[in-house]
Amino acid sequence: MKIKIRDRYRAILLIIMVFYSLFVGLINPAFFSIETVFDLIRTSSTSLMVVIGLLLVMISGGIDVSFMAVALFGSYTTIKIMIAAGIDSLAFAFGLSMLIGGFLGLINALLINWLKLPPFIITLGTQSLFHGIMTTFIGDKSFGAGVLPSCLNKFGQAVLFSFQSDNSRVGLTASVVPILIVAAVTWFILYKTMIGRGIVALGNSEEAARRIGFNPSRIRLFVYTYTGLLSGIMGIIYVAQVNALYPNKLVGDELMVVAAAVIGGTKITGGQGKISGAILGVLIIYLLNSTLILIGLSSSWNDLFVGAILVVSIAVSSYQERVKNRKNLIFTE
Amino acid sequence: MEMHEICLSHSGRFHVEGGISLQEVLSVHNLYKSFIGVKALNDISLSISQGEIHCLAGENGSGKSTLIKCVSGVYAPDSGKIVLNGHEYQSLTPAQAIREGVQVIYQDLSLFRHMSVAENIAIEKLRFENRRIVSRNEIRRIAAEQLEKIGVSIDLDQTIGETSLANRQIAAICRALAQDAKILFMDEPTTALTKKEVSRLLNIILELKKKGLAIVFISHKLDEVFSVADKISIFRNGFKIGDFNKDELDEKKLSHYMTGREVEYPRYVRKCKDDRVVLEVDRLTRKGHYENISFKMRPGDIVGLIGLLGSGRTELAMSLFGLNPAHSGQIKIDGKTVKIKSPMTAKKHRIAMLPEDRITQGLFMERMIRENITSSIIDKVAKNKIFTDKKAENDISEQTVEELKIRTPSVETVVGNLSGGNQQKVVIGKWVATHPRVFIMDTPTVGIDIGSKAEIYEQIHKFADQGMAILFISDEIPEILANCNRVMVMRDGRCIRILNEEDLEKPDAEKLISELISTRAEEEREEAVP
Amino acid sequence: MNKIRKLAAGDINFAILIALTLLAIVLSGVFIGDKMFTVANIQAMAYQIPEFGFLCLAMMLSNLIGGIDLSIIAAANTIAIFTANVLNGRWAFGTDGAARIILAICVALLASILFGLFNGLLISRTSAPSLIATLGTMTLYRGIGMALTGGSSVGDIVPGFSYLGKAKLLGIPFIFWIFIIATGLLGLVLSKTTYGRALYLYGGNPVAARFSAINNERMCRSVFLLTGLFAGIAGIIILSRVNSAKVGYGDTYLLQTMIVCVIGGIHPNGGKGTVKGVLVAIIFMQLLSSAFTIMTLSPYTKKLIYGAMLILVLGMNYFINKLIQKYKTR
Repeated sequence: MKIKIRDRYRAILLIIMVFYSLFVGLINPAFFSIETVFDLIRTSSTSLMVVIGLLLVMISGGIDVSFMAVALFGSYTTIKIMIAAGIDSLAFAFGLSMLIGGFLGLINALLINWLKLPPFIITLGTQSLFHGIMTTFIGDKSFGAGVLPSCLNKFGQAVLFSFQSDNSRVGLTASVVPILIVAAVTWFILYKTMIGRGIVALGNSEEAARRIGFNPSRIRLFVYTYTGLLSGIMGIIYVAQVNALYPNKLVGDELMVVAAAVIGGTKITGGQGKISGAILGVLIIYLLNSTLILIGLSSSWNDLFVGAILVVSIAVSSYQERVKNRKNLIFTE
Repeated sequence: MEMHEICLSHSGRFHVEGGISLQEVLSVHNLYKSFIGVKALNDISLSISQGEIHCLAGENGSGKSTLIKCVSGVYAPDSGKIVLNGHEYQSLTPAQAIREGVQVIYQDLSLFRHMSVAENIAIEKLRFENRRIVSRNEIRRIAAEQLEKIGVSIDLDQTIGETSLANRQIAAICRALAQDAKILFMDEPTTALTKKEVSRLLNIILELKKKGLAIVFISHKLDEVFSVADKISIFRNGFKIGDFNKDELDEKKLSHYMTGREVEYPRYVRKCKDDRVVLEVDRLTRKGHYENISFKMRPGDIVGLIGLLGSGRTELAMSLFGLNPAHSGQIKIDGKTVKIKSPMTAKKHRIAMLPEDRITQGLFMERMIRENITSSIIDKVAKNKIFTDKKAENDISEQTVEELKIRTPSVETVVGNLSGGNQQKVVIGKWVATHPRVFIMDTPTVGIDIGSKAEIYEQIHKFADQGMAILFISDEIPEILANCNRVMVMRDGRCIRILNEEDLEKPDAEKLISELISTRAEEEREEAVP
Repeated sequence: MNKIRKLAAGDINFAILIALTLLAIVLSGVFIGDKMFTVANIQAMAYQIPEFGFLCLAMMLSNLIGGIDLSIIAAANTIAIFTANVLNGRWAFGTDGAARIILAICVALLASILFGLFNGLLISRTSAPSLIATLGTMTLYRGIGMALTGGSSVGDIVPGFSYLGKAKLLGIPFIFWIFIIATGLLGLVLSKTTYGRALYLYGGNPVAARFSAINNERMCRSVFLLTGLFAGIAGIIILSRVNSAKVGYGDTYLLQTMIVCVIGGIHPNGGKGTVKGVLVAIIFMQLLSSAFTIMTLSPYTKKLIYGAMLILVLGMNYFINKLIQKYKTR
């Protein structure tokens, strides 16, 4: 059975995760519980939601560092409106936040298409721009649990199935539902629709994609808007879980999600990336973040470990690529 | 008209049965196209029938690519008529061209590296049909269907990045077939293939011809492609010189028609008297690229290196320059063994290389001539090796410009604004400024006008007379014969023959070399004949 | 005529930059001149420019070779933390007073070189894209800082050190002198030395540089070593002014250094741009920053303006280039 190299990479990641978990469990047996899994899923749910969108963007050959600002903008605006108008509908929350997020993503796409400059710089600019506009014109106050629409907290606390463990009930957060839906939809788009293949084609070679009849500008409009939509959803999930609305959270954590995508095997140069890889990348980072404390290291060691893993994973995959290129006498740097 | 009713003669040409003419797939009438300052097509008329293998020959800029782009809808002609399958067009869109069955395979193949072979084959068709949903099964079905049409089987699930160059080309052909191609344009299809792969390609082409597909090649040299061509149209400076069949042409006539000159390049004769070996290569091997290469070079030698891409010639050249270090064997400079692991080391041993692609590898297009000329001697045109010395830079640059006859108003001109020939001279000048003892030149005259070519040959002879040893890589046998006093022929990673002065003097030298690189029989591996 | 065209095209960005800076000076003079152009405020700006300036120089270098160094701020902070630990006695090896300060600075410079070299080796040995590689090292360096401090600031510095941050020479802050001298040296190296020439060639077309026997790997290493060095110097300066070191200080600087590079005429693809452009851009940004502080704009509003600026400047560059193209082909 031929195991392809890319699959091998993800398999290795999985194996490392398993071994690491065993290691942690040996030191601290409390780790081996269903609560750990549920907890992991809950804390990583917001990142899981956005990494899926980021994945599409990176496959198309671009990058986006404004998604947190978009998530914040969408959710903050929506909830403010809901509070002011007394709306208490989860569907409304998701719907409006999605719309706003999608709109902001559209702006990103328009700027990137129009200015033809590195998406990193452009989205770095829009990150500040969006956050700045939100705090200046929409509001910069925090809202506590008391004033938030109750549907949010209900959703944030909702569980799919639960059981009694020790003195408390633990359950699988309901947030997995939107995540699974989004993952499935994205999977379908990426593998079963023409636009999804167009995204991959664009990431491989813009020129060749154009020749076949794909429209790179339109594809970019799609991916960045899609990311915006997902960011909007994520914003609501975040507020629901945290049960408070702050004007300055989320923004600043973007690079962790990018790191997760990279660890998961997505290439910044575009053309390749798997949903399972991105999810795996996020889980690894959150696994590390939550377990280092179990093996005796305080949370201040998180960045160090994640950074080390990131550097190693980047070094290994880049070097592999370079060896392949050199063999074909391709010198790109 | 059913194609299998036509009988094939020995030479593979079509007869006309019973006075009925074969259906014309494409005919072009009095086509004109110009761009700013350049008349790319002048009154071009051409006709191609079903099942015809047609070759467009001509130098760079002669109009063949422009013609193809007009027929495939990329450009709109200024005037004239294009008739496809009986439908007349003044100009057409790419979509219309595809609908008429026009398919073009560019030299870069335009494939997607990280997508599977099957998907690369099927995606254009599905995209064209405006499908919204794609299914893996359908993709495989389409791909398998095309492979069957040409009787070849390759791994459909591999990504293109993992596939060999030859298989990529097959994928590209299949992609064209998936769109019901009636006429297939292929740009320089054999340049990247090995012997065996060329054979396979030609068989595929003959299969397609049997099915009624018209195939148009672009080529600029006599090679295997010519042996299957029914008609050859030669272009020069935007005009069509004429249509010929392959028996009417040989290397000399082809060159004459393509360039418009009876160019008899003066043969190079080695005048240098120093017979001490400058460069000796001894059983150099790099697994997967080339094996057991051995040869010697003396001052004044211009050693030609010829072989198809895939023969290992570029890999060998790069190894000598430190970009592709060998795995075993030795390189000796003046008798001393050296290890060349980087271009810096090569330069230290006074080995220079003129790269194949002057635009991306040879030049800094946005910088001035003087900056380019001094780019390999930055340390030398400096005061105390640290500060740049503008005066010294200017002096060397102006000297080089004069010596090599680079046509430019000043050394401050940006290199991107020069013509191809002058650009190449800048690259040559850059390396000559390092005073190399061994100068490797990889296809130095590709895409260069006739006048500059002659000047470059003259320069090369002069360098050799002054004691430089030159390794001259080329695809054109007349060029090799004119400029080299010895010739090394490579095939499949081995050096199969080294021809010396006497061998080259013989009248059948051209034919011999041609046969050596392009014999079609399936042979056993021969030992390198030193 | 062609010469004028060339001059115009090349220096039009610089001309616009100068115009913008003058405009900023004039406008702030008109509206807040009484607070902006006091001796105290100008001195304050002179104190603030160096740390930001060194970070910009670092970013500029990485841009010149077609890359980007995201790790500069994390490196600056972590190096400041190292230095602070020496200065407050924890890593002082028994030295005190002036000896301790010297030791601290040596440690800082050594660490800067190591951090920079690590980046350089990672990128040159594996051919990793600099964006991703420095994303990784940024996390790593920040992680080292976090592991050492747990997020809290490191203080208790030997008083002599902060003197460095306040000292004046001929009325101008000592650290400003250092910055100007460094900028001048860098400018000299880039425009007049063989190293600078090789750097521009490498940045403009790394493939051709390789084929021209320029040592690409060495170029890459040395440039990132320099960015590390500049980041470290920025860290030292930050420590001397703020008197403590902390992970996360100056995170907002990242966007601003990129704005500086873009306005300063450094092309993100590499090979183009000069120090003088960046210097004027730094002064311009400092004027803005001071003005914003005087106008007591909230940090959110500042963010909005910076973000908008980046987009606007990018858009402006695009249009200007398009106009120049049209003008050229007329």
